[in-house]
Amino acid sequence: MTPRYPAISLAALLVPALLLASLMLGDQHVDIAALLKGEATAEARIIVLDLRLPRALMALLAGMALGIAGTIAQAVMRNPLAEPGILGINAGAAFAGSIVIVGFTGLSVTVLPWAGFAGATMMAAAVFLLSWRKGTSSARIVLIGIGLGAFASAGTSVMIAFANISDVQRLMIWLAGSIYDANWDKIRLLLAWLIVPIALVCLFYRQIDLIRFGDDVAASLGQRVNLVRAGMILLCTAISGATVTVAGLIGFVGLIAPHLARRMVGPGHALLIPASALVGGLLLMAADLVGRTIIAPVQLPAGIVTALIGAPFLAYLLWGRRHVPA
Amino acid sequence: MRGVGRDRGLLLALLVLLGLGVVIAAQAVAIGTTPLSLAQVGEAIFAFDGSRDHLVITMLRLPRVLAGLLVGAALAAAGAVMQAATGNPLASPGLLGINAGAAFAVILAMALPAVGAATGGGILWFAFFGAAIAGFAVHVLGSLGPNGATPLKLVLAGAVISTFLTSLTTAVLIFDQATLDVVRLWTLGSLSGRTVGDVIAVAPFVGIGLVAVLLLRAQFTTLSLGAEISGGLGQSPLLWRTISVVLVVLLAGSAVALAGPVGFVGLVMPHVARLLVGADYRWILPYSVVGGALLVVIADMLGHSLFASQDFPVGVTLALIGAPFFLWLARYRLRGA
Repeated sequence: MTPRYPAISLAALLVPALLLASLMLGDQHVDIAALLKGEATAEARIIVLDLRLPRALMALLAGMALGIAGTIAQAVMRNPLAEPGILGINAGAAFAGSIVIVGFTGLSVTVLPWAGFAGATMMAAAVFLLSWRKGTSSARIVLIGIGLGAFASAGTSVMIAFANISDVQRLMIWLAGSIYDANWDKIRLLLAWLIVPIALVCLFYRQIDLIRFGDDVAASLGQRVNLVRAGMILLCTAISGATVTVAGLIGFVGLIAPHLARRMVGPGHALLIPASALVGGLLLMAADLVGRTIIAPVQLPAGIVTALIGAPFLAYLLWGRRHVPA
Repeated sequence: MRGVGRDRGLLLALLVLLGLGVVIAAQAVAIGTTPLSLAQVGEAIFAFDGSRDHLVITMLRLPRVLAGLLVGAALAAAGAVMQAATGNPLASPGLLGINAGAAFAVILAMALPAVGAATGGGILWFAFFGAAIAGFAVHVLGSLGPNGATPLKLVLAGAVISTFLTSLTTAVLIFDQATLDVVRLWTLGSLSGRTVGDVIAVAPFVGIGLVAVLLLRAQFTTLSLGAEISGGLGQSPLLWRTISVVLVVLLAGSAVALAGPVGFVGLVMPHVARLLVGADYRWILPYSVVGGALLVVIADMLGHSLFASQDFPVGVTLALIGAPFFLWLARYRLRGA
C-alpha cells in the first residue's frame, strides 16, 4: 500500500528519532547503546532515565495535548485564529501565576502550577457563563473571551509594570512556558488527567466535524449544538488546563499545530486530531531540545523556541502550497 | 425612507460624540495636580503669555492629550480596517506584526549599545520602522502563492510573525534585566512624557491615514463582504488588501511609535462601533475613529487621576475601564446570535 499521507508518515517516524536525540544530546553526551546493554555508569543512567527521558516525554505529551486542544478550539469557534487562549485560559492562568510569583514569593514553586490551573479554569468558566443567554453562540464566546482576556491581561500588566524587577523576570520566564522540571510523577499526573478528555474527544470526532459547519447546519443534521459546544469547551479547558499545570503557558503550539496538520491530512477530524497531536508533540519536543542545547548551559524556555521553530516551518508551508483550504 | 432617517440619526449621534470628545479633551487638559480652568486652557493655546500655568498646559498636558487623541483614533481606525480586510473578528492592528515589530526594534536598540548609539536614541523612529518592516513582511508572506492574499493566509502569517518576534523579544528580556527594567513601561503603552515634537512628528502620518480611511469607507464596506461578493462588484481583492495593509501600517505604526504597543483599542473599538451601528463600515469607521480617540483620552485621564501616578500605563487603564463596557455590549447587543 502506498502511503496516502507522506508528510504525516514522516512526522510519525520523527518521534522516535527526536526522542533518541533528546536522550543523547546535552551537556553530557551519553552513549545510548551502552546504556541499553546495561554497561553505562550510574551517572549516565540517572541523566537519561530520570532527567532527559521524563523531560522529552513530558514535552511530547504536553505538545500533543495542546495540539488537540487547539484543534477543538478552531472547530468550535470556527475561527482559524482560535486557540485554547481564546477561552481566556492563558490570560487567566497568567494573571493567577503573576499574583503568586509577585505576591507570594516564598511559596511560588509549589503553588504556581495549581494557581495556573485554577486561573485557567475559572476564566474559561467565566467566559462560558457570561456568554450563555438561552444557549451559546461561537461569536459571543469569541467576543466575551476577548473582553475578559483583556481584563485579566491588564491585571498581569500592572504586575509587570510595578513589581520588583527580579520577580518580573521570573514571571516572564514562567509566562513563556517551560518544561525544565519534568519528572515521572508529573508525567503520571498529566497522563491521568489527559486520558479521559482525549478519549472523549476521539470518541466524538464526528460531532466536531459537524459543529464546524455552523449552528444551523449542525442542528438540522440532528446535533444538539449547545450541548456539544459546552462539552467540547469543557474538554478543551481540561486538556489545556492540565498542560498549564505542568508546563506553564506554552502558546503557539495550540494555534499552529492544527494548521500544519490540516495541510498534511485535510479537514476531517478523524485524521486531523491524531495528526495535530503528533505535530504538536513533535514541535514541543524539538523546541525543548533546541532550547536546552543551543546556548547551553543557559536554557531557553521551550515556549519561546516553539515559535522560533514553528514560524519558519509554517512560512515554508504557506510559500509552497498553491491551494489553501480553510 | 427609513434608511435615510437612520442615517440622519447616526450622523447626529456622531456629531454629538465628536462634540463630547472636544469637551472631554479640553477637560483632560485642565485636570491634573494643579487644576486649571477651561478658560486658562483656551488662553494658553490662543494667547500664550509664558506663565507657569501656560507652560504646564502647552509643554506637558496638551501634548499628552493630543497624543492620546491621535493614538486612539489611529488604532481604532486601523483595527476596523483590519477586521474589514480579513473578515475576522479577532483581527487587530497587532495581528499585522506591528506591535511585535516595533517592540523588537526598540528592545534591540536598547539592548545593543552600538545600535542604540547609532540612532541617537530615536526610539520613535525605531518603533515606526520596526512596525513597518514587520507589517510588510506579514503582507508579503500572506500574499505568497498563486491565490494571492487570502484573509486566512494574511492572519496566519500575521500570527506567526508576531509570535516569532515576540519570542525573540522575550528571549532578550529574560536575560537582560537592565533592558527589561527600562522598557517594561513602554511595552505596556504609555503616554507620559510625550513632547510637542513627538506629536508633530507623528501627526501628519496619522492625518493622512485617517483621511484616506474615511474617504475610502465605502470601499472598505465592500471589502468586508468577502472576496466573492467584493470581486463580483468589481473590486480587486489584491489591490484593496494591499491598500488596507499600507493604511494599517501607517496608522498603527505611528501609534506604536508615539505610545508603545497599546492594546485593546484596535481590537475592541471596532466591535463597539459594530454593536452600536451595525455591520456597515461607512458608519463603523467614523464611529471607531471618534470613539477610539475618546476612549484613550478618558482612560489616560482616569489613569493618572485614579491611580495618582503619571506613569500608569494607558494600555492597562484602557482594558480595566473598557473591558466591562465591552463585555456588557457583547452580551446584550450582539445580534443574530
